[in-house]
Amino acid sequence: MAAHYTESAAKVVEPPSKIKRKAPGSGQVKRSVRRLESKAKVDGSAEYIYNLSLPGMLYGKIARSSIPHGKILSIDATAALAIEGVHAVITGEDIRRLIPDPYYGPAFHDQPILALDKVRYAGEPVAVVLAADPHVAEEAADLIAVEYDPLEPVFDEVAASKAGAPIIHDRLRPAATFPDLKYLQGRSGTNVALSGRVRRGDLEKGFRESDHIFEHTFRNGKVIHAPLEPFVTLAEMNGPDGLTIHTASQSPSFVRSEVSRLLGWPENRVRVRTAFLGGGFGGKLYIKLEALVAACALLVRKPVRIALTMEEQFYTITKHGATVRLKTGAKKDGRIVAREVETWWNGGAYADIGPRVAQKSGLTSAGPYDIENIAIDSHAIYTNEPPAGALRGFGVSQVVWAYESQADIIARALKIDPLEFRRRNILREGRPHATGMLMTDVDIDAILDRLAERMEWDRPLDHGSGTIRRGRGIAIGIKACVAPTTSVAMVNIYGDGSCGICCSTVDMGQGSDTAMAQIAGELLGVSAEAIRVIHPDTDVTPYDMATLGSRSTYHMGNAVRHAAEDARAQLLRIAATALQTDIDELECRDGAVLTRSGARMSRQITPFWMLGGAGAEIEVDTETGRIRVTKLVNVGDAGSAINPDIVERQLIGAGTMQFGFTIFEEMIINEGQVVNASFADYKIPGMLDLPDDLTGELVEVPHRHGPFGAKGIGETGMFCVSPAIGNALYDAIEVRVMEMPLTPERVLRALRQAQDRPLTSD
Amino acid sequence: MKSFDLVEPATLDEAIALLDSQDRSVRAIAGGTALMLMMKTRLFQPTRLVSLRQLDGDLRGIRVNEGGGLRIGAMTSLAELEYSPLLAGTYPVMSQALRTLSNIRIRNVATLGGHLAHGDPHMDLPPILLTLGGRISAVSRRGRRWIPISDFFVGYYQTSLAKDELITAVDVPGQSPGVYCWYEKFTARSADDWPTVGVAVWYSVDSNVITEARIAVSAATERPMRIAVAEALLINAPATRQVFSKAADAAADEVQPIADLHGSASYKREMVRVHVRRALEHALNSRSNGAG
Repeated sequence: MAAHYTESAAKVVEPPSKIKRKAPGSGQVKRSVRRLESKAKVDGSAEYIYNLSLPGMLYGKIARSSIPHGKILSIDATAALAIEGVHAVITGEDIRRLIPDPYYGPAFHDQPILALDKVRYAGEPVAVVLAADPHVAEEAADLIAVEYDPLEPVFDEVAASKAGAPIIHDRLRPAATFPDLKYLQGRSGTNVALSGRVRRGDLEKGFRESDHIFEHTFRNGKVIHAPLEPFVTLAEMNGPDGLTIHTASQSPSFVRSEVSRLLGWPENRVRVRTAFLGGGFGGKLYIKLEALVAACALLVRKPVRIALTMEEQFYTITKHGATVRLKTGAKKDGRIVAREVETWWNGGAYADIGPRVAQKSGLTSAGPYDIENIAIDSHAIYTNEPPAGALRGFGVSQVVWAYESQADIIARALKIDPLEFRRRNILREGRPHATGMLMTDVDIDAILDRLAERMEWDRPLDHGSGTIRRGRGIAIGIKACVAPTTSVAMVNIYGDGSCGICCSTVDMGQGSDTAMAQIAGELLGVSAEAIRVIHPDTDVTPYDMATLGSRSTYHMGNAVRHAAEDARAQLLRIAATALQTDIDELECRDGAVLTRSGARMSRQITPFWMLGGAGAEIEVDTETGRIRVTKLVNVGDAGSAINPDIVERQLIGAGTMQFGFTIFEEMIINEGQVVNASFADYKIPGMLDLPDDLTGELVEVPHRHGPFGAKGIGETGMFCVSPAIGNALYDAIEVRVMEMPLTPERVLRALRQAQDRPLTSD
Repeated sequence: MKSFDLVEPATLDEAIALLDSQDRSVRAIAGGTALMLMMKTRLFQPTRLVSLRQLDGDLRGIRVNEGGGLRIGAMTSLAELEYSPLLAGTYPVMSQALRTLSNIRIRNVATLGGHLAHGDPHMDLPPILLTLGGRISAVSRRGRRWIPISDFFVGYYQTSLAKDELITAVDVPGQSPGVYCWYEKFTARSADDWPTVGVAVWYSVDSNVITEARIAVSAATERPMRIAVAEALLINAPATRQVFSKAADAAADEVQPIADLHGSASYKREMVRVHVRRALEHALNSRSNGAG
């Protein structure tokens, strides 16, 4: 049976039948079940697309643009084609013969499958060499000669938003999938892909009534997702008029619809399947290699595989760099009465989902605070850098860095304890958010309580003397989950009573297979370990928007719950008539039956609020500027956790990822060229870098509509780590660094500046 | 990647014969940890790689030399060095440095010969060897010559090794008791990153007066190098914090740092100052021979 779960907010679709909702209480949820795939991952039998090869397939290697902005004058493949073993060289013009309008993207149809007419960033795919031997393809790709007429590039997001900046796209082409962007259709002469706005109250009046006004600008550098499994896609013909795409994607359903749209085919001719992903973090969403590989396979009528190297990830998708200007008016007692937020998002050359990042994170960029007068502007900007998209938190960690650093500044200026300052301002149950939506099922006080307890906030901290100084800091953050969205699941009970779940949620390491099995198992009275979760295959598993935004536990979890309830109801009916016995006694002997339920929409911006807090204790070496984080506590509200262990590790994993972004990770981009595009030169944290005391802490505020009270938490651990560390830095040495990452050099320069003996610049 | 020949000679003579003094695209490969990075970024495209993996016999292992020093075969892996009781007993400063050298996966395959021949200024052992002294055995068709370690590193990724020469061994002299040694490493990013600055020190003290001193700086500079002006300030001076600071200031003034991803030149100059002083202090606190 299938349950269809479309959700935008608090309204939940009721299951079709009137069966009692009471769970059999089989003890599957709220239990730390070991991950179903643990053994397969340890013994190497877990399936990854990266390991797949198809008979007769060709390997593709991408030739990339060497300049950040310019017209393509010519592409000469003669030398490449002369290499023995080269099967074909494909350029944008070849693609255009197959697909007349070969531009894709989830928000804007702006990204050509291969560069057409011009290039917009250094590293943009310009041509593909196909060969049976990947080394031959690589050698030939180096020999493709492209002649450019360089155009003036623009890299800084604020500069790119100004009038007179070089224009990157002639006109804006919003995708039909987002009807609300339609008004941007055809707009020209701008690099601003979208400006999101929120207005509440009267900002000017609020500032006039303020006793103190604080204004600061904060910066975030660009970082990348760095999944262990790089991007990989294979495509093959499936009969005379069909196509199968095997891809490491977080959004197989989107790949099917977008590839179908590009080809002008009905969706039923395109099959997309995935396996386990070796990490995604938002990088493998929407379309990355899929349209390119599909087009190559169709052009040469052979299976094609393109697998990027670790280094090529840097030219595919990044997290947004961002500039956040924050102006806040507060009363003497610390109450915030007015806040103005303006954010410029460095979206790079193609929009990807950037406009949605700007829009969604803009909505919550005034923070989890109860403020009467708010003005928010959030601009998605095109620049000549590699494209930016979703990265675990969807823009939220960039704005939390700003508003929680400033919260600390304000609290200290007004001589109010930073924790107390937050208590005076937080949004509480029933109060309106900046967007007007009322807060439900939230308890930020509980998060602050847990932070205070775990950080021993009442205990004075020894700040140290000499060259090692200690400090501590806290931060809280809020995110809205994506809305509206749809998830569909089927639960099959096979002849022998075993159970399979068909759903298109992608298990990329977050443990979703296990959580779905627990939810179905709870209702069917089957142990989670005995349930099989069938991995996404658009020919087999039903539609799901995508695995993103911490939505799967809530949305897919509800769909699985409804499907399992439906199955259970049918079993009960059969049992009642045939056996006159109770469901717990029943052995299923029926095949799967499918049913449907309706969908509802709501104007509310989120089905649930994601709330988190972090606390950090650090040591700073005042002679080198190096920060050592000694304690990092990440508190997240998971609703009622389906699997407490997995949820805790999610918080720790996200905290570790954001810790790297905070302390040293940064893409160094010089005139559009990524200088450190390898993991030799772009460092991510290893075990030796981690804080000695690193914990994830669950606060459980049951959500009225979550499956068994659960809500998503995959991103929550990202929000608050950076400002907690930045605030601890100030606590330690009274130096405020406004730009991430907090590298030793940046910290030492700020410290020496404050001591009035600045380090010279080179 | 262009296709290339990989040959695995069984003897040193064969290996030498397969190298070519004229053709820069013919190179020896040992652990490959550095060469593979250069090949991946296409800084280096070989036509022939001469693998030294089969040359285990004489080229691998650690033996005691006359005079209490050690002879270390060029194909000895960094992990073998790290776990060698012989090394730990003779040069604890090296054993300690090896524990923080990149990560265990690298140390398992990287060799001492490759570590030196690469000529990368960010390596950890060269500054230590510059302070311990010693010589490098280089063999070619012309025979064997001994290159003093002080003459080996000549520039940015440049050594005095000829294109057709192979390192076969490194001799490190025995250390007199009572010598103070330390290696101070500073990474600005992850713990397993290459250093922003590395400082090795070696000095002896008699009646609280420094009698001999060596200071070597790496990573911040174009090559690992001794800092003579700083050493001169130590000799005949008492081993005090003030003296160490003075030497550190002199080292910072003397070096010409190169800006890279690990830091700007001015930041690295400052880090030289801090870490020369810390190395000198830590050496004294460690009592002797770099045993922490």
